[in-house]
Amino acid sequence: MDKFLEFKNVTYFYQTKTSEIHALDKLTFAVDEFQFASLVGPSGCGKTTVLSLTAGLLEASEGEILLDQKPITKNDPRIGYMFQRDHLFEWRSIWQNITLGLELQHKNKDQQKLSLAENLLKKYDLYGFKNKKPHELSGGMRQRVALIRTLVLEPALLLLDEPFSALDFQTRLKVCDDVYDIIKSEKKTALLVTHDISEAISMSDRIIILTKRPAHTRTIIDLNLEGNTPLEKREANDFGKHFEMIWRNLSSEETIIKSP
Amino acid sequence: MKKQLSKAHEKYLKRLKKDKIIVIFWQIALFVCFLGIWQLLADTGVIDPFFFSSPSRIAVTIVDLFANGNLLLHIWTSLYETILGFIIAVLLGLIIAVMLWWSEKLRKILEPYLIILNSLPKIALGPMIIFWVGSGTSATVVMSVLICIVITIISMLNAFISCDKDKILLMKSMRANKFQILFKLVLPNALPEFVSVLKINVGMAWVGTVMGEYLSSKAGLGYLINYGSQMLKLDIVMTSITLLCVLAGGMYGLVSLLEKRQQK
Ligand SMILES: Nc1ncnc2c1ncn2[C@@H]1O[C@H](COP(=O)(O)OP(=O)(O)O)[C@@H](O)[C@H]1O
Ligand SMILES: [Mg+2]
Repeated sequence: MDKFLEFKNVTYFYQTKTSEIHALDKLTFAVDEFQFASLVGPSGCGKTTVLSLTAGLLEASEGEILLDQKPITKNDPRIGYMFQRDHLFEWRSIWQNITLGLELQHKNKDQQKLSLAENLLKKYDLYGFKNKKPHELSGGMRQRVALIRTLVLEPALLLLDEPFSALDFQTRLKVCDDVYDIIKSEKKTALLVTHDISEAISMSDRIIILTKRPAHTRTIIDLNLEGNTPLEKREANDFGKHFEMIWRNLSSEETIIKSP
Repeated sequence: MKKQLSKAHEKYLKRLKKDKIIVIFWQIALFVCFLGIWQLLADTGVIDPFFFSSPSRIAVTIVDLFANGNLLLHIWTSLYETILGFIIAVLLGLIIAVMLWWSEKLRKILEPYLIILNSLPKIALGPMIIFWVGSGTSATVVMSVLICIVITIISMLNAFISCDKDKILLMKSMRANKFQILFKLVLPNALPEFVSVLKINVGMAWVGTVMGEYLSSKAGLGYLINYGSQMLKLDIVMTSITLLCVLAGGMYGLVSLLEKRQQK
C-alpha cells in the first residue's frame, strides 16, 4: 500500500521568551492510505505537535512532511482535524455547527455538500437533533457531531487528538466503535493521538510509539487483530501480548524492542 | 409512575409560582411601607419636610413642574443625553476593542494609556470638556461617553482575548481567515460579556449625564437637582432623584429584556 503521510527526519523547536523547547527530534514514520494509525508516547512528548505540523498550523524547523508523496502545504483541504474537546459553538444549532466549515469556505450553497452533511447526520442517528443546540446533546453525541463537522469537508486524512479522553469509560467504548466505523466506512486515513494503550491497540492498524521529549520514533508496530470493531478487537487473542509490549516500551526509556 | 412524576412536577411548579408571588408581594409591601412611613414622619414633624420632602410633596412637585411645561423637557434632555452617550460609548468602545484584539502590537502600545484612563476620575476633565466642546448637551454627552467607553473597551477586549485558543485553531484548521474568526467565533462568543457591559453602562451613562448637567447645562434632571439645591427648593431635588430612579430602572429593565431574548 502507498504511504499517504510521511514524516522524514522532522525536527521542531518551540520558541518562548525564556527558552527554546526541542519538541521533535528527527521524527520519522509513515501512515499508509486507508490505514488507522495511532501515536502513543509519554505526556508532553510532542504528539499534538505532530498533528499541528501535519495540519500546517506549525512549520517544521527541519525535515520533510509529505502528503501523498508531495510536501504538505498550509491549509491543505485533504486534512481534517478533530480536537480533544468537541469545541461545538453553543450559539449555533447542530446543523449550523456541522456546516461551519462549508460556510467558512463559501460552499454552503453547494447542494452536493449539503446533502452529504444531511446524510451523515441521518446515518449516525443525529438527524433528529439537527435543530437542537449542543448543550442538549450527550458527550458522546457531541463528539460524533464534531467528527461529522470534520467529515463534511471530505478530508482524506483525519487527525484526531485524544478525542475520547473527555468521555467517561462506557461512553468512550461506544464512541470509539462509532468513530472507527465512520472512518472505516467513509474510507479515510486516520492518525489518532491517544494515551490509552488499549484504545490504540483496539483501533489501529499501526501504532507509532514515541520517546519522551524531544520525540523521535521508538517503535512502529503493525497490527492485524481479529474482530471488526474496536470492542471485538479488545477480545482478540493477541491483545494482551501487544498491550504488554507497548507498556514495556513506554515505561522503559532504554531498551528498544523490535516490532514483530 | 409517569402520572406521579408529573404530579410532583406540578407541585414543584406551584411552589415556584407561590415563591414568586411572595417575593413580589414583599417588594410592593416594602415600597408602600417606605412611602407610608416617610409620609407619616413628615406629617408628624419627626423629620423636617423642607429637608426630607415627602411623597405627597413630590407628587405635587411633579404635577407642578409638569404644568409649568418644562418637566418633560428636563426628562427628555437627560434621557436623550444618556441614551446618546450610551450608544456612542458602546459602539466606539466595541470598535476600539476589536481593533486592539486584531493587532497585538497596538494593544501592547496602548495598554498603559488604557490603564491610566481607566483609573482617572473622568469628572476631573469636566472643565476642559466645556472648553473643548462647549457647554450643554454636547459636554454632557462627552462626559457620558468618557465614563462608559473605557470600561467597555477593557471588558470587551478581555472577552475577545479569552476566547478559547483551540477554538481558534479549529477555525484555522477549517481554513478560516481572520475576519471569519472575528465574526463567526470571537464576537458571538463574547455576547454574554457584551450584555453585562451594557448593564454596567446603563448606570455609568446616567452618572455621566448627571455630572455633565451639574457642570453646565440649561436643562435636564441634573440641572434640576443643581437648581433646586441652590434655590433651596429641596422638593425639586428629591423629585428629580425619584425620576432618575425610575428612568435608570426602566433602562436597566430594557437591557435585561434583551438578555432574556438572547438566552433563548
Ligand atoms: N505553543 C507552545 N509554546 C511553547 N512550548 C510548547 C507549546 N506547545 C507545546 N509546547 C511544549 O512542547 C512539548 C510537546 O507538546 P505537545 O505536542 O502538546 O505534547 P503532547 O501532545 O504529547 O502532550 C511540551 O513540553 C509542551 O510544553
Ligand atoms: Mg497533546
